[in-house]
Amino acid sequence: MIVRDVICPFCACLCDDLDVHVEDGRVTGVDNACDLGSHKFMTDHRMKGPVRRTASGWEEIPLEEAIRETAELLEAAERPLLYGWSGTCGEAQSAGVHLAELVGGVIDATTSVCHGPSILAIQEVGHPGCTLGQVKNRADVVVYWGCNPQHAHPRHLSRYTTYADGFFVRNAFKERKVIVADIRGTDSTNLADEFIRLQPGGDYAVLGALRAIVRGKGDVVPPEVAGVSREQLYRIADLCKTAKYGAFFFGMGLTQTAGKYKNIRNAIELVDELSRHTKWTLTPMRGHFNVYGFNEVCTWMTGYPYAVDFARGMAFYNPGETTAVDILARKECDMCLVVASDPAAHFPAEAVEHLASIPVVQLDPFPNLTTAFARIQIPVAVSGIDADGTAYRMDGVPLRLHRVLDRGYPDDAGILLEITRRITGGGSR
Amino acid sequence: MRVILTAGPRKNPFIPVEAETIVPARFLQGVDGITVAAGNRILPLTDVFLVEVEGTAADPSGVEVVLRGDNSRLKRIGEYMEAGKIRVEGNIGMHCGNFMKGGEIEILGGADGWLGREMRGGRILCHGNASHYCGSGYRGEKHGMRGGYLEVRGNAGDFAAEYLAGGEVVIRGDCGDMPGVEMKGGTLTIHGSCTRPCGNMTGGTCTVLGSARGMLPTFRRTGTVVHEPGGVILTRFEGDVANRGKGTLLAREWQYTL
Ligand code: SF4
Repeated sequence: MIVRDVICPFCACLCDDLDVHVEDGRVTGVDNACDLGSHKFMTDHRMKGPVRRTASGWEEIPLEEAIRETAELLEAAERPLLYGWSGTCGEAQSAGVHLAELVGGVIDATTSVCHGPSILAIQEVGHPGCTLGQVKNRADVVVYWGCNPQHAHPRHLSRYTTYADGFFVRNAFKERKVIVADIRGTDSTNLADEFIRLQPGGDYAVLGALRAIVRGKGDVVPPEVAGVSREQLYRIADLCKTAKYGAFFFGMGLTQTAGKYKNIRNAIELVDELSRHTKWTLTPMRGHFNVYGFNEVCTWMTGYPYAVDFARGMAFYNPGETTAVDILARKECDMCLVVASDPAAHFPAEAVEHLASIPVVQLDPFPNLTTAFARIQIPVAVSGIDADGTAYRMDGVPLRLHRVLDRGYPDDAGILLEITRRITGGGSR
Repeated sequence: MRVILTAGPRKNPFIPVEAETIVPARFLQGVDGITVAAGNRILPLTDVFLVEVEGTAADPSGVEVVLRGDNSRLKRIGEYMEAGKIRVEGNIGMHCGNFMKGGEIEILGGADGWLGREMRGGRILCHGNASHYCGSGYRGEKHGMRGGYLEVRGNAGDFAAEYLAGGEVVIRGDCGDMPGVEMKGGTLTIHGSCTRPCGNMTGGTCTVLGSARGMLPTFRRTGTVVHEPGGVILTRFEGDVANRGKGTLLAREWQYTL
């Protein structure tokens, strides 16, 4: 059987044109997806059922018992941390936010270690965003700053930019100019009409210099800014100002280097300055397929996009204080529920060390590095493969993911609701 | 009146305690009924501290609160305080002196993040180091500190005096990255060195008496001034030009490279 127009639940491009071949309850082939996407559909190493750590290894336990023990751990904790969320659908995220409020915990998503700074900047100066369809049909100048879409979002160029012909950009490859800023050459910088090769940590200065030049105050700018010549900066400012429609994309090379959210703020204010001359927009290259979704769900439920602390009964948000890495590194939390993510693989050593000293429960379809720290792991269905759910694309467009097969796993939203029911004793509290 | 709060041992000393109730004025009504929050549990103050009260006071300005023991996880003390004194004999946790309007806080050790956040008046003196965001604003807030005097005898972390809008911040040691970023008023004096000061500033004056590395390329050099006392010659900049800014940045030594 071929299931058509399937949405890929891997990266936040959420490509919606996949054809998935299903035979005997297994995926046998995927058309149109990139390697990253097809790998996710084809991976078969799922765990069979819930497991609990014993003195010498693992024992299988009934789902019922795994849920009961998780509920007990959450209730007993004085500062539980509920972390992850970017690899599951909005329904589970929403159940997670309710649960965090119920147990007076802190809920945070992988956002805090990827595009959290982008959101902080957006909270300061706003988000001149647009849908990817606008970019595809209109943009004649595209900037990729601190990201390598060829590797991280392999179909971004073919669906929306360089190789995607649009309504007003008939021959994209010829008509679209691409500017790539990075500290080193990559497969994406190879495609650039202008490659801004900057010194590490130089983003803020270069973006500021561009703003000054676009404002006509280029005379203050020194001959070289973080390894980039003033001549090139003038050339780029001209290219951007004379664009019919410009689209600025950026990744973790901008969000996670010195200055963090101030870099993004400078990028937003550059886009703002350029929009006095022509039309420019800005879009973060969100990574996991539904990391944007967590920010949406959490915002409509609590007023804040991530890193929400419910210890005092109301929502408090302060990245740097209520973010997962900081809470772990300060040894604050006394229990951790990890959903659809792998903190042990991505967090700094001091944070992972604390994970090893507290009870950890993990809800994830696959065993990963965090499994090594878990007391209990409950395997769940994969949103978009064997579970339905809603996800938000990197431009904020919500898309409905449909299951292509049923492998008999429970979905994480259901498990979270069941944990909640246990804690409230069935009623609402 | 002197209120001495000595932090006792806790089962899990890493769980933060929020104590916006620890302000001098609150102790005029006695100790009964004062609570703090340890993680998601509300506890009577007396569960966390040994409390000793000496003498009496007619109004908040006559109250001195002394904190002893390990208070490095104690947050939000002196929040909204208007008068009186708090003396911390050691380190203090985050958000000490949030929105403070008057009175005095003296910290003999160091302070964690957001010391004197959005302070409006009064004095804070920190003898040790202060962590990130000292004298700054809350996330997304357009104004940081608006008034008062904040002095750190040691070093300060990153983003010191972010969004500074009024009052005076003095750092005797070094600052980390981006002190005075987005500042729009007030004065910031850094006796040591720092990197990338005053990005996007629109007003106010920042003086760096050490060296400013990673100087931003969007400041216009407008001559020199003599700094007293000492007669040190400082380069004068105006900016941030990228932001149509009219702030003043003075630096003894500066360089564009980091
Ligand atoms: S680009 Fe992203 S969404 Fe599209 S197929 Fe590849 S991994 Fe999936």
